[in-house]
Amino acid sequence: MTSTKKNSKKSSKKSSKKSSKKGAIPADGDGGGALDPRTIRVRMYRVGFGDCFLLSLPIAKGSGTTEGHRHILVDCGVHGQGDINTMAAAIDNIAEVTDRTLAAVIATHSHQDHISGFARYGEKFSGFDIEEVWLPWCENPEDGLALKMQRKHAALADQLDEHFHAQAAAASPQARTPERKAAKEAVANLVGNQKAMQLLRSGFGVNARVRYLEAGATLSNPADIPGLSVRVLGPPRDQKFLAKMDPPEDQRYLRLGAGGRTETANELHPFTRRWEIARDDRRLAHLLLPATEEKRLKEDLTDASLDGLAFALDQAKNNTSLVTLFVFRGQYLLFPGDAQYGNWKWWLDQSEAEDILPRINFLKVAHHGSHNATPKDALERMSEGGFAAMISTQNAPWASIPRIPLVERLSQKTARRVVRSDWIKVAGAPVLKNTPPPIPTTLPKGFVQGDFWFDYLIKV
Amino acid sequence: MKKKDGFEESPLYRPLKVYAFDPSHGRSLGNHMTVNVRNEELEPGPVGGYLEVIDYDVSNDCYYQPVDLNAVSVMMGGGLEPSESDPRFHQQMVYAVASETIRRFEFALGRRIKWGFRAEGDGSRRLRIFPHAMQEANAYYDRDTRALVFGYFPASDLDAGSSLPGQTVFTCLSHDIIVHETTHALIDGQRKYFLESTGPDSLAFHEGFADIVALFQHFSFKEALLEMIQRTGGLIFKLDVGPEVRPDGGGPVGQFSLSTSNPLVQLAKQFGEALGTRAALRQALGTPPNSKDIQKLHEPHDRGAILVAAVFDAFFTVYIRRTRDLMRIARASGAVTAPGDLHPDLANRLAGEAAKTAEHFSNICIRALDYCPPVDIHFGDFLRALITADSDLVPDDPLEYRAALRTAFLLRGIVPEEVTSNSDEALRWCPPEVLEGKKLPRCEGLTFDLLRPTSPSELVRNATTLSKFGKQHAALLGLTPGVPVQAHSFHTVHRVAPDGRLKAEVVAELMQQRPEKFEAEDSGSPSFIFRGGTTLVIDLAHGREGEIRYAIRKPLGARGTENARLNRQREFQGHIHSNLAYTTFLDKHPAEGMKKSRRARSLTFDAIHRGY
Repeated sequence: MTSTKKNSKKSSKKSSKKSSKKGAIPADGDGGGALDPRTIRVRMYRVGFGDCFLLSLPIAKGSGTTEGHRHILVDCGVHGQGDINTMAAAIDNIAEVTDRTLAAVIATHSHQDHISGFARYGEKFSGFDIEEVWLPWCENPEDGLALKMQRKHAALADQLDEHFHAQAAAASPQARTPERKAAKEAVANLVGNQKAMQLLRSGFGVNARVRYLEAGATLSNPADIPGLSVRVLGPPRDQKFLAKMDPPEDQRYLRLGAGGRTETANELHPFTRRWEIARDDRRLAHLLLPATEEKRLKEDLTDASLDGLAFALDQAKNNTSLVTLFVFRGQYLLFPGDAQYGNWKWWLDQSEAEDILPRINFLKVAHHGSHNATPKDALERMSEGGFAAMISTQNAPWASIPRIPLVERLSQKTARRVVRSDWIKVAGAPVLKNTPPPIPTTLPKGFVQGDFWFDYLIKV
Repeated sequence: MKKKDGFEESPLYRPLKVYAFDPSHGRSLGNHMTVNVRNEELEPGPVGGYLEVIDYDVSNDCYYQPVDLNAVSVMMGGGLEPSESDPRFHQQMVYAVASETIRRFEFALGRRIKWGFRAEGDGSRRLRIFPHAMQEANAYYDRDTRALVFGYFPASDLDAGSSLPGQTVFTCLSHDIIVHETTHALIDGQRKYFLESTGPDSLAFHEGFADIVALFQHFSFKEALLEMIQRTGGLIFKLDVGPEVRPDGGGPVGQFSLSTSNPLVQLAKQFGEALGTRAALRQALGTPPNSKDIQKLHEPHDRGAILVAAVFDAFFTVYIRRTRDLMRIARASGAVTAPGDLHPDLANRLAGEAAKTAEHFSNICIRALDYCPPVDIHFGDFLRALITADSDLVPDDPLEYRAALRTAFLLRGIVPEEVTSNSDEALRWCPPEVLEGKKLPRCEGLTFDLLRPTSPSELVRNATTLSKFGKQHAALLGLTPGVPVQAHSFHTVHRVAPDGRLKAEVVAELMQQRPEKFEAEDSGSPSFIFRGGTTLVIDLAHGREGEIRYAIRKPLGARGTENARLNRQREFQGHIHSNLAYTTFLDKHPAEGMKKSRRARSLTFDAIHRGY
């Protein structure tokens, strides 16, 4: 979907007049109507396997139109393998409905599926007036500890990337296992995000105020939004938590050296060379392993452990997710990024969790509805039928996301007020099939479908 | 060791030096200690009857020089001196500690142990140990490789605890880790399908059990135990201990002596610290009993810690009971019983009691393995096995070990299914006729000889006899009619009870299995093998040959969606699969990916049952 700014402006204007377009799931009743000064709107774009949310909060002045709202963009990215080419149009739509003014841009964590759009469409963003950028403290270049971790993560991801490429080039059988395939995707999500991060850290080059946030912080009326209070629930700086984001370092790996030959880096030799003995040494005669066994051990031990490291890094990065709770006119909206269990657990253990969970009115489901990103003890403590939820997801190419038991439980828990972004039909995008719960015939109350997005409207 | 002439007897033991804990304790706390390993013929490696230490470093693709424990220079010193930089000492230590763990199992079980993997081409069946297999912060037992695999890694440079940042940490120099992994291998040798993870309890059980064995071993380290008794005033369960004291009872020395954690009740200190977690790998104890944890904790190590805590609550209860009189006598005579000031005689007596009690508990726990169901163990099953095993051997229980265990398990919320009260009678497994109200005939035609090992042909005949017996009396034995029955893992058990009686029994398993779908309602779902079965304890005593004393059942049950155990296992496997770290980017059912990589299993531990 490529369209100029002008075109998209026209088309979306049309669609916003006619609230249900052809092929869309009709809203229940009038679906809550248009954006008025008493309405909070959460817009979830279908971008494929990725996140792009626009939160619009009404402010007192102005009336009836978008001028009366301030807008916060939460993430803008898609994984290369799950891209359905709607990102450009999404950004155009954002430009239109916000009049190119964003009170704040939040990048929850530096994974491709959350920030790739900032770099890829940097030019589009350069036309925006962006007032604030919010990032997790782990991305702060002036924080010694954060810097140390970033360097380590980046180095490991690059090493793994090199290793996987080197092995593939050497046509090693290990390069073709299902784990390796998955590990490569995890690494792909981690590398190549520097440009987007640079842009975000520099405040998009337009002097946006950059805030690095950590658990425990509370922002009152941030980004000139009166009445908004933002509580930062993660990531914490806690020592115990840090250990979870600190994968073992100095993993040895293969890289492609001169002439395309593979060579080893980061070797650790536990003993001085005098203890090593040659295979034909008499003392080894009864101990020597057959060559086939040595080979098998090698595949089992070294390669599998590097795959494991790729997954550990992926989870560690998810755990750096900035978790923000928006409290606005009595409404509690939770955006947990891709926080995994470790990040959640930290704030669930704090006393405030007891207070917050039952009050939540809206939940952005973390990590595309995966297994480990919505802890049971969190969801169960939210109020029965008291909140709505959005899942930005796509069950292709990775079939295990979203986790169906979670979607089913969310559906019960929200009294069916949950939508999945992949319910929306987009030309060329994978079509959802065979997944319970079935796509409803009318949208749950409060939800409206647009061209390639869902809106959730809350009257305040 | 060659005999020089017909008169020279070879010694019973071979003294070998090891670290009591790990290198991070230096020389303090009797950390340099000697283990008296049962003497056996050894080749360089060492290679003995049970173990084969092969120092192949996969990461560096090289072999390190094997230690020759028969070299005169080594024997004169009672083994090589502890050293981090000499791989031969590492080989000596893994051999010595693993051998000692095997000895403890054989002593408790009353038989020679077997390994759980097939014999090699030449008929030998040794567990391989790779002390420096790879550059990785990990160690594990792998049945397919027939090996214990130990890694080494550079300590974290963010926070390395008592190691130097970047220093190489060897998992094979941690006494606890060696015992833990050897225990996994030993359990696998007892039961064919026991290690399969079928529910939150089964994985947790294996972790917890291995930790229990490792922790009880600490109480056999005489010097460390004596010092802890001094520093805690005899209250060895305290987590924080007073400063180190001079032999003359004087003040603290050096600042390292301000260390405040009690090494007897923590595991793998250096390993945990070097990962940057600032603490021992597991602090097993020190939490007050809480019956809710069992519902909340599902990660195998956390959940296993509940089991460890329950057993140790019972252990400390009995220890206090056994030493109360000593403390009273000491106080009555005006002696000081405060930390650091115990009379050396009193400290010695307390240490003796602690060591003895620990050995009893360790034996009870290991012995209970014979009384566990063949698959899918729950903590409650283990409690029943503990009570049955111990009351079989020690009918009266003057020091109330069993009462202590019952109470401790109850306080931690471990309640067996289908048990009406928390008494010994209710918790003991029942013979089948009590359960079903019908008399079960003896199993005739089994041939076991007390004095010689059963021959392979006899074993085959016994297996046929037993599986026929199982089919015939399926209902009474808790087996499912119409499904083939296989008999596995015969173990003959000879024990001398404290009253001098010789007990002879056979423990065998009757197993059944059938394929089931991972997703009950999805016809395209891959399948797994669902198992059920019964552990039989069969009497061999003269006049009662073939009598079934216990039938410990985990029935396969019916097909369909009403089978509660099957449903639980499905749900659990669903959690495992979805929690595999790599599931996110997998394009097929995780079960299919998993078949290809057994290592994947070691990646699963982080998040079982936390999500949906």
